[in-house]
Amino acid sequence: MGPITKLSERFTEAAIDDEIVIMRVDTGEFFSLTGTAAATWRLIDGHRNRAVLLSALTDEYSADETAIAADVDEFLAQLKEMGLLAGC
Amino acid sequence: MAKTTAELMMEAETLVSYGAVPDRILDDALPDMSWQMSREEFLFRGIGDHLFHYRRGKGITVHRGADADAADESLWLNGSVYAAIASMNGLLPIHASAVATGGSVFAFSGPTGSGKSTLVAALGSRGLPLFCDDTLVLDLSDPDRIMCLPGHKRLKLTSEAFDLAAVTPQERVSPELDKFYAVPASGEVGVALPLAELIFLEEGSDPSITPLSGSERLMRIQDDHYTAQLFATARQFDRAGMFTHLSNMARRIKMSRFVRSMARSRFNESVEIAAHHVNNSVD
Repeated sequence: MGPITKLSERFTEAAIDDEIVIMRVDTGEFFSLTGTAAATWRLIDGHRNRAVLLSALTDEYSADETAIAADVDEFLAQLKEMGLLAGC
Repeated sequence: MAKTTAELMMEAETLVSYGAVPDRILDDALPDMSWQMSREEFLFRGIGDHLFHYRRGKGITVHRGADADAADESLWLNGSVYAAIASMNGLLPIHASAVATGGSVFAFSGPTGSGKSTLVAALGSRGLPLFCDDTLVLDLSDPDRIMCLPGHKRLKLTSEAFDLAAVTPQERVSPELDKFYAVPASGEVGVALPLAELIFLEEGSDPSITPLSGSERLMRIQDDHYTAQLFATARQFDRAGMFTHLSNMARRIKMSRFVRSMARSRFNESVEIAAHHVNNSVD
């Protein structure tokens, strides 16, 4: 599986405290990422693929990879469905 | 204390003279109670032949026709016209009433009818001087602190709010409006001060003042009040530009929610909570 890339022309984002707030440019809709969702978003850099992303999150949260994989996959799928990501 | 650059600018830009004004500054005709704004000009029409024209660097020109009601003039000058001039000159007017203590400003925001004016009037009866009523003008130019310009409007309360706030009514604001002017019990602060906190009023049975998270602050600083519409028009933000502005405000301003009952029987309890919060937040 190839690298996961943010489609940066479709959104704008701001870090406020420990949250990331993202606004879709086409709709003006806001959503907020916290915790592992925010960490996952920060790790998406256009170079990491799913496996590297999972490994980095596993290290950061000292978690079992299989335990977080389902949540990460669901989150990536949601972002892709919203048109914010490519490559996953 | 010397006035700030922003205060001096607003004093100069809001000087009023009377004379001829255009009936529009854009292509379309201007209906009653509406406004037009261009880069250099602002035009507001009150009711009938009553127009307020601002041109950057030239102040305000008022045309008061024969059918115009002079009693409403100061309301419009201090309302839409003042907020438009502030917005066109880089300041941010927000819908809030505020008190000042310890050299800083605590502002209360909420929709019309949420009790902002009544609360700050009641806080005056507990020793906290008024800073502004209804509109708070912010100067964002200093990256280290947000300065508040002293209030430019007289405190106005509904007749039923006077008993609650324990202040004495003055003259009626206008024949059409069930509001009366009031003298703040602890006086007013007339110098620019830094903003300490913006507190949003909410209704609920379990009273508390709690901090807002980052995204909550960003959502709350959005407003559909006319001041926000004037600011957005003056700055000509696109969606991304507005988001950047809102997120900067969310980062820079400490914000809380104040949940309290709107029942008259619990009003004093709400005021005590607010007074305690403000007095204990002073550095």
